[in-house]
Amino acid sequence: MAPRVGIVGIGHCRFGNSSDYDLVDVIAYSANAAFKDAGGLALRKEVDQVIVGNMASGLFNRETAVASALVSRMDMEPCPAELVENGPASGASAIKMGYMAIASGMADVVLVAAGEVMRAVTGWEATDIVATMAHKEAEYNMGLTLPGFAGMVTRLYMEKYGLTERDLALVAVKDHANGAKNIYSHVQLPVTIDAIADGPSAGVVNNYVAEPLRMYSTCPVTDGSAALILVNMDSPKAKLFKKKPVRIAGIGSATDTHVVHNREDPLVLKAVKISSDRAYKMAGIGPKDISFAELHDAFVIFELMNSEEVGFFERGTSFLAVRNHETDIGGRLPINPSGGLKAKGHPVGGTGVSQVFELVRQLRGEAEEGRQVKDPKYGMAVNFGGFGNNVITTILAKD
Amino acid sequence: MIDFSVYGEQTPHISGWRCQKCGTLYYPAPMVCRKCDSMRDPTTNKGWEEFDLEGPCTLLTWTRVWNLPEGFNKKFLLFGMVEFGNGLRASGRIEMEGDPAIGMKLTAKTIEADERPGKPVKVFVFS
Repeated sequence: MAPRVGIVGIGHCRFGNSSDYDLVDVIAYSANAAFKDAGGLALRKEVDQVIVGNMASGLFNRETAVASALVSRMDMEPCPAELVENGPASGASAIKMGYMAIASGMADVVLVAAGEVMRAVTGWEATDIVATMAHKEAEYNMGLTLPGFAGMVTRLYMEKYGLTERDLALVAVKDHANGAKNIYSHVQLPVTIDAIADGPSAGVVNNYVAEPLRMYSTCPVTDGSAALILVNMDSPKAKLFKKKPVRIAGIGSATDTHVVHNREDPLVLKAVKISSDRAYKMAGIGPKDISFAELHDAFVIFELMNSEEVGFFERGTSFLAVRNHETDIGGRLPINPSGGLKAKGHPVGGTGVSQVFELVRQLRGEAEEGRQVKDPKYGMAVNFGGFGNNVITTILAKD
Repeated sequence: MIDFSVYGEQTPHISGWRCQKCGTLYYPAPMVCRKCDSMRDPTTNKGWEEFDLEGPCTLLTWTRVWNLPEGFNKKFLLFGMVEFGNGLRASGRIEMEGDPAIGMKLTAKTIEADERPGKPVKVFVFS
């Protein structure tokens, strides 16, 4: 039987613009914070394996072999270290690899750290770099970008289910209300529906990015990092850490077609459905057991579609739940209490670890006042790689 | 005498592919047929038929992108996803005045574009 794996240390930096800083320092900051949270920096000597998540440091920062650099920067040699790249799901993949290292018996303590410094380049360059994960011949060469695909899918969803631009704005208002209370958020200002949808200046404040998606339907370009310390809860080393472990109850992942137009129905995120089914099965629970969720919302349409694919709502109805405030902090199923990628930000390779950082904070009861979910038992995170073609779902449990 | 020269195509085109063993159509080119497991050797394409993907198509969805990537010196570009009569789908640019409409009939052609550094690339234009 595989050992139980828990998270005993968490670290996170303030998301935003870190372009004056070296990527390795940005990631090391969160790793140090995780050790401090777990009981002290001396605990780094207990680590059997370091796994780093990052999407494109070679392109954003002209910096490679980041895992090797991190170990040396943190005085952790000769600890084994590897880099995991899975696009914007690099963070969740790094957690999965950390889990597998412990489950295999090769390690009892794993440091998982992830981050990205995207603002080292211009916004136009960043958009282009992120677009390199699209199919080279059939998508990237056309000039298509991730916002472009999200715009096309949003239009299809509107046509089929009656979603409106105001509904998209309601998701953003909810996410920014949460993000404004999160000390780690990139954007810490709440927005009103009047300012971005109903008011006379809304079209100027909330201009189009990829129609029908507007600025407030889209995540910012963000720098930042997060880190976790994973332990074998059944090993003697677990007793070295002062924090009660938050158990990793389930991890599931799946892939879908690389080329978006080759999906039978572009409105179906098959990899989200399969990955969440696998995570539920491993955890021995179902959608009704989830207390709250962090869903990959690089574009707000993803928050809606993800919430349907993981079984929270029927297909084509999630936006009605947003209208009814069911996904607010005080609602029956809070979604993106951190502010999500929309408000907290999306440092691509770091996002998956940041999402799980939020799950741990919520399950420990450590979220800020007005942002803490009431008595949560299970938290879920869905992290996307590509345009939903490589997805990892992670479920944590408070035992 | 060996002539090492490489001559550019006079008219750019984008290819669809047919597995000659089972007839399944593809765009873009696969390395293995999902239906009959036939392999495609990209240097010889033996066992695979290449054909021009162009002509009449139907618009499935579209967007107008205002934040274009580096190199695109335009205010915006229209992009769309289309379906051809043979069932193949493609994504590319739309050239037209005003707003497109889902379900409208368009014609696909191929151009060469050079917004980004490096060799020009082939791009679908639906109009």
